[in-house]
Amino acid sequence: MEKESPLVRLCLEEACKSGESVERWRLQRRSLERLPPHLADALLRHLLARRLLFPSLLEVFKHSVEKIDFRGESSINAEWMAYIGGFLNLSSLNLSDCPRINNSTLWPITGLTSLKELDLSRCSKVTDAGIKHLQSVANLEKLWISQTGVTEAGISLLASLRNLCLLDLGGLPVTDHNLSSLQALTKLEYLDIWGSNVTNQGAVGILKFPNLSFLNLSWTSVTQAPNVPHLECLHMNKCTLLSIEITHTSASASLKKLVLSGATFSAETETFFFTNKSSVTYLDVSKTSLQNFAFLETMTKLEHLDLSSTAFGDDSVEFVACVGDTLRNLNVSDTKITTAGVEILSGHVPKLETLSLSQTFVDDLSILYISTMMPCINALDLSMTSIRGFIQQQEEESKKSKPSLAALQSLTSLGTLSLEHPYLSDNALSPLSSLTGLTHLSLRSTSLTDFTLHNLSSLPNLVSLGVRDAVLTSIGLEKFKPPLTLRTLDLRGCWLLTKDAIAGFCKRHPHIKVRHEFAQESSSLDQNRLLPRSSPQQSFAKTSRRKSNQRPETSAAVSRSFIDQRVKYNRDELVALQDSPSSRLLPREGNFVSVPEILADSVIHMVIQ
Amino acid sequence: MRETVKLISMEGFEFVIDREAAMVSQTIRSMLTSPGGFSESKDGVVTFPDISTTILEKICQYFYWSLQYSRGKETEFYIEPELTLELMMAANYLHT
Repeated sequence: MEKESPLVRLCLEEACKSGESVERWRLQRRSLERLPPHLADALLRHLLARRLLFPSLLEVFKHSVEKIDFRGESSINAEWMAYIGGFLNLSSLNLSDCPRINNSTLWPITGLTSLKELDLSRCSKVTDAGIKHLQSVANLEKLWISQTGVTEAGISLLASLRNLCLLDLGGLPVTDHNLSSLQALTKLEYLDIWGSNVTNQGAVGILKFPNLSFLNLSWTSVTQAPNVPHLECLHMNKCTLLSIEITHTSASASLKKLVLSGATFSAETETFFFTNKSSVTYLDVSKTSLQNFAFLETMTKLEHLDLSSTAFGDDSVEFVACVGDTLRNLNVSDTKITTAGVEILSGHVPKLETLSLSQTFVDDLSILYISTMMPCINALDLSMTSIRGFIQQQEEESKKSKPSLAALQSLTSLGTLSLEHPYLSDNALSPLSSLTGLTHLSLRSTSLTDFTLHNLSSLPNLVSLGVRDAVLTSIGLEKFKPPLTLRTLDLRGCWLLTKDAIAGFCKRHPHIKVRHEFAQESSSLDQNRLLPRSSPQQSFAKTSRRKSNQRPETSAAVSRSFIDQRVKYNRDELVALQDSPSSRLLPREGNFVSVPEILADSVIHMVIQ
Repeated sequence: MRETVKLISMEGFEFVIDREAAMVSQTIRSMLTSPGGFSESKDGVVTFPDISTTILEKICQYFYWSLQYSRGKETEFYIEPELTLELMMAANYLHT
């Protein structure tokens, strides 16, 4: 996203300050038509974020806007889409997770001749009839319809969109027959068919896409990795990898990213699968049954390596050390690695930036190895380890122990630190207050008190802080002076805090989003927007965002901060309200996403991703 | 004497401001400092045929406000909502 200059930003903020300020510029038609596309896009984005956008206001943007991102907006319906249909220069439209989008609301899209990118992911009401509307958008280059209601017949229709270079059909019942009909799409570079009905037989057809560089076959019954000539990225999560065409192994020389999380290997594939994969820079073999990690030695270009939840242990660390020179991210959480393994590793990974050792047996000594031998670390996860915060001195001055976390000070780029661990005490964590570079810190321990909270207020750059399950008191929270940069405070599980204490804190610091059992969802902060597509966290972020989007457009009389009436009133008041005439003022049911729907949604995401 | 530059609006109105203030705009800065012999860098006069007098005046105010702000005087810069669109376009052009 382009960074606006300071005065442009001031103008955008002023223009979107209130509904009244909008009224004062919305009739300047000539200016609006002359707006350069990136400014028009930014203005539309700001209006949406400030909840000032409504269908008829869209009209003024129809000549200037090129990109629209309505991700997760529950208000987008046929009326909005009717206006969107008039956007002559629109090239990119994101309607993913818009629950009210269905086949008929898509009809106006047929007139958008300049449309190149369309995202309908998880619009579950879109079916084959909706795809028929899309057929007339001949210039479409990128199309996302994962987890929609489209079936085999609808997928076949896509073959007429000859300009497609990206096609996301994740979670749809794509068949072998579909794949062969889609071979007409010779420009295709990106094909996502996770969870489809494609078999080995159909997968052979994938070879006929001459330009394919990305392929996702996760959750399919494909057992044989197709050797697509120019493939750079292959996902086969949860697949069973049985056989390999050894004759073609040279073909995969361009492969850079290989994601095989949860895949099953047979005895012979385990040895052969990774030969000739030396070009790989990104490898994810987490949650696999791999026993032998010797293949890592050949992957000399590795930058990202995920070995979490595997049989990886100290005896295999040397293979990682062999290729450590280029490594930037390493995840070995939930493995058998111990401090001895970290010792072997240290000194061999000079460029390592992200390291996760959570749920392992590493202890305080490993902190010393990390802080002295891994100078570039900027994110470190040490949750649920054997770290106690102190190193027992062996010398005669028995019983004297040295705080171990102080050593982290030498990691000058450390920004993110996770130390969620039940036995860490205030004393052990006190050196953290000197880590002034920290931006994200998460702690979770029942031994923590107000002392730690107050101690951490001296961290000048902290953006998010989690102190979960701690024995924080209401008075302690009241006295807490959060750093100016703080935006998120996670206090879940702090059972001593009262409702008033949380509410008081929210009131004093409205720019901080508080997470606690007593905290209300705030709608003004939208930090989840920048998450990449289809990452697992997104689904959760999305649901929480959706909850905050339930603002009824119709009844401005109802205070906006109270979204769910059950939050606004307690039970007795609610019962009393039932018969009052004003209950008719409450928003119509259609504006809500019901709780079961949200739950179902997140469950689906959890299962799939 | 302090060095000044002259900015001329669409309607021909002339604004004489400190060179230092005008340099807040990256576009004007490169016009005034480029060695390639822009006539602007010789005479210190820049004409903006697309920017109206009202907007150019506001832009000049912003230049001075921005200088003060960078020196630690944290006041607010008020923009009338009806000027936001045109001002935004001018700011975009001037990279300020």
